[in-house]
Amino acid sequence: MSTIERPVLPLAHEPTPSGEIYPDAIDLERVRAAHVDQFTQREQVTVDGNTAAALAVLQMWRCLIYPGFPITPSTKWIETIASKIADEPRTKKKVKLLEAEHAVADYLVGAAAACRDLIFPTATSSVGLDHMTETTRSLGASGLGNVMLIDVYRATANFPLCIEGDPSDTLAHRDDGFIQICTRGKQQIYDTILQAPCLGMHPEVLTPTMPGYYGIKDSHRSARLTVEADKAIHAFQDGWIQPCPLPGLINGDTAFGNCVTSKHFQGFKLSQRRRMENVLRVLPAVGADFEKHFGRPGLAFFDEVGWPEHGSVDIAVVGMGPDFGTFEALRESFEQYAGLQVAGLAMRLLTPFPSEAVRRRLEKAQVVLVVNQAHHYGRGHLTLDVVDALSTLPHPPRVVSAFAGLGGADVSEATWERMLEQARAGEDGRHVEPAAFFHEGRPL
Amino acid sequence: MTSYKENATLESCFRPGSTLCAGCMEAIAFQNVGRVTDNGVKTVFTIGTSCAEVSSLAFPNVVAWGRGDAPPDDFARSFSILHNVFESAPTLAEAVRDVADSLRDHGALSAPVQVVATSGDGGALAIGLRALLHTIHRRTRVTIMVLVNEIFANTGFQYSPATTPFASTSTTPAGAASPGNMMPPLDYVHLAIAAGAGLVAQLSPAHGKLFQKTMERSLVCEGTAVVFVPAPCITGWKFDDGQTVEIATLGARCGVFPAFVWERGKGGAVKDCPLDAADRPALEEFLGTQRRFNHLVRRDPVTGGFAVREGSEEVVARFRDWTQANVERMYRLAELK
Repeated sequence: MSTIERPVLPLAHEPTPSGEIYPDAIDLERVRAAHVDQFTQREQVTVDGNTAAALAVLQMWRCLIYPGFPITPSTKWIETIASKIADEPRTKKKVKLLEAEHAVADYLVGAAAACRDLIFPTATSSVGLDHMTETTRSLGASGLGNVMLIDVYRATANFPLCIEGDPSDTLAHRDDGFIQICTRGKQQIYDTILQAPCLGMHPEVLTPTMPGYYGIKDSHRSARLTVEADKAIHAFQDGWIQPCPLPGLINGDTAFGNCVTSKHFQGFKLSQRRRMENVLRVLPAVGADFEKHFGRPGLAFFDEVGWPEHGSVDIAVVGMGPDFGTFEALRESFEQYAGLQVAGLAMRLLTPFPSEAVRRRLEKAQVVLVVNQAHHYGRGHLTLDVVDALSTLPHPPRVVSAFAGLGGADVSEATWERMLEQARAGEDGRHVEPAAFFHEGRPL
Repeated sequence: MTSYKENATLESCFRPGSTLCAGCMEAIAFQNVGRVTDNGVKTVFTIGTSCAEVSSLAFPNVVAWGRGDAPPDDFARSFSILHNVFESAPTLAEAVRDVADSLRDHGALSAPVQVVATSGDGGALAIGLRALLHTIHRRTRVTIMVLVNEIFANTGFQYSPATTPFASTSTTPAGAASPGNMMPPLDYVHLAIAAGAGLVAQLSPAHGKLFQKTMERSLVCEGTAVVFVPAPCITGWKFDDGQTVEIATLGARCGVFPAFVWERGKGGAVKDCPLDAADRPALEEFLGTQRRFNHLVRRDPVTGGFAVREGSEEVVARFRDWTQANVERMYRLAELK
């Protein structure tokens, strides 16, 4: 022991499975009290998707630092936050510009581990997310549910470079360990980001979140958005986010990010998987509570359109993103024209994939048309998940797989009609290709 | 400042239980820095993947970090450590620094926090040079300790950008057609100064008092403090255990990695390494201690000293020239303000 007199800061402490925690080391009430409201009442604004996402994180009192690095089409997220902070002399929030996306991901590890009761968001796209990959996989296994990585979808690869939005980036990261939630429309972007930390920081989940939206189509186009008062958001989030039961680097005496022998690796991965599986139980509860607070639909596994109570339809469409809205718009007219009952699911929760809920919804369909918008050498990321979900049925519906909207191309009405015709052929028992490409109303 | 004797009585945050090679300089450095950080300030270490990480944080082995035999009641003596990928240590440290500063700025954290990042030279100077330089460039108030063993020891002793010329490594092996590594090492001391560091040192615990004093100064540096620790590697440099400190001292004195301390605004100094080669130990004395230079020198059976191998005279002459240039370079860097 030291023979030197040192100042002593005695604090109560208690053991946890991850080391000692000093619960009184950080006074979060001071942080909450210092928050400067963006909105004091519910308001209507007209904004693009990146701004909607920026407003949501600015309104959270637990967000103090916004690390980021620009990449199209997510750049306006960090620019908006920087601009709002620059205009508000009372706020102590800070933007942190790093030198590359990899550094952003590393920074998220350090910051989120330093204080597990604060929320650390960033936004990126495409190869920016790819550049983070080494550390997104650390984050995914970390238990740091206070990390939120907003992915503004953009096609991956630089040969050829394409800055428009298809979800090939998020779908290439299905196994990184993030809760991946797809959104469409400004309101859903805003609402999802408000709910994501409640899910990720839930003590039975403790898993980082990756809400996402389509680049250009949703990131850059403006629409009406209802924003809530900051205090209402705080009341909602505080009902879900309790003090983390595990120590952070600052309020703890802990070692974080250890390596393990292969014998113990299995247990860590199993634990990671079980936390992810808990999402399927916690997410609907968060969503229902959000709806109770704000009167709008909260988090859900998918959006449903056109489903009869008995659940039997001729064609069920599974897709994601804003192009699903075009299908919604023409669904009834196609039903009348074809004399078939047609319904659809727009997927929200991508990881963990809600297989059981999807199976229950699709089990009485004659044929399922899955629309994939990202490059895949097989039948499509979404198709594989849907086929897997249906695989336990004794007589699963036939699955027709389509690719459309690659590179962020619009999926036009004509393209939707052509894909529905393909599904109709499948429903008639005719031969259809295992996976077919469609663009501007024609098969390729 | 704590006296050398007093410092020896402090409790290191690096504890028994690591599986580092016996006598490894990394362990010696951690022991010393660990004691310096027992200064009444809450300590957080960050560590990139390296020998040190896999040898001290491997579950279910003993975690070789922490202060005291039980969690301290005094929060200021509590200790945390965070590991992530090779290049990450400076960025992790910067994040911890920022969060601590933000919490203190909000009045939410009353206790100060000191942050120390540790990397190997592979992590800091090869895969992580960008992270290192940008954390320095942002004037982050952390201490970064780079353990320079001149190889990627963790993956099997491959060449690193800090490898001494003509060293035999597993990817620059010496052979009939090659005298070993042909690349001069990266001028990392100058890079750290140029990037904006507040304190830059090249120093190992072989210079015990100076090392302690420098690490203490690094912890109160207003900007980024970067300490490159020459770290003789028993297995990679191929020498017998028990020689680590002797080789570290010899390497510094003969000019291969001169002891150097520099502070912004004050300038610096080369320690224990005269500018004139005649006043320094012979290079062969350093080379002869390590089998990575076995192709250049041999022990003279008559005198017991080390002599240049026949056929290697030209290479060793070039080595001497590089060493002299290296010493002169450090003296010039010391003059910078």
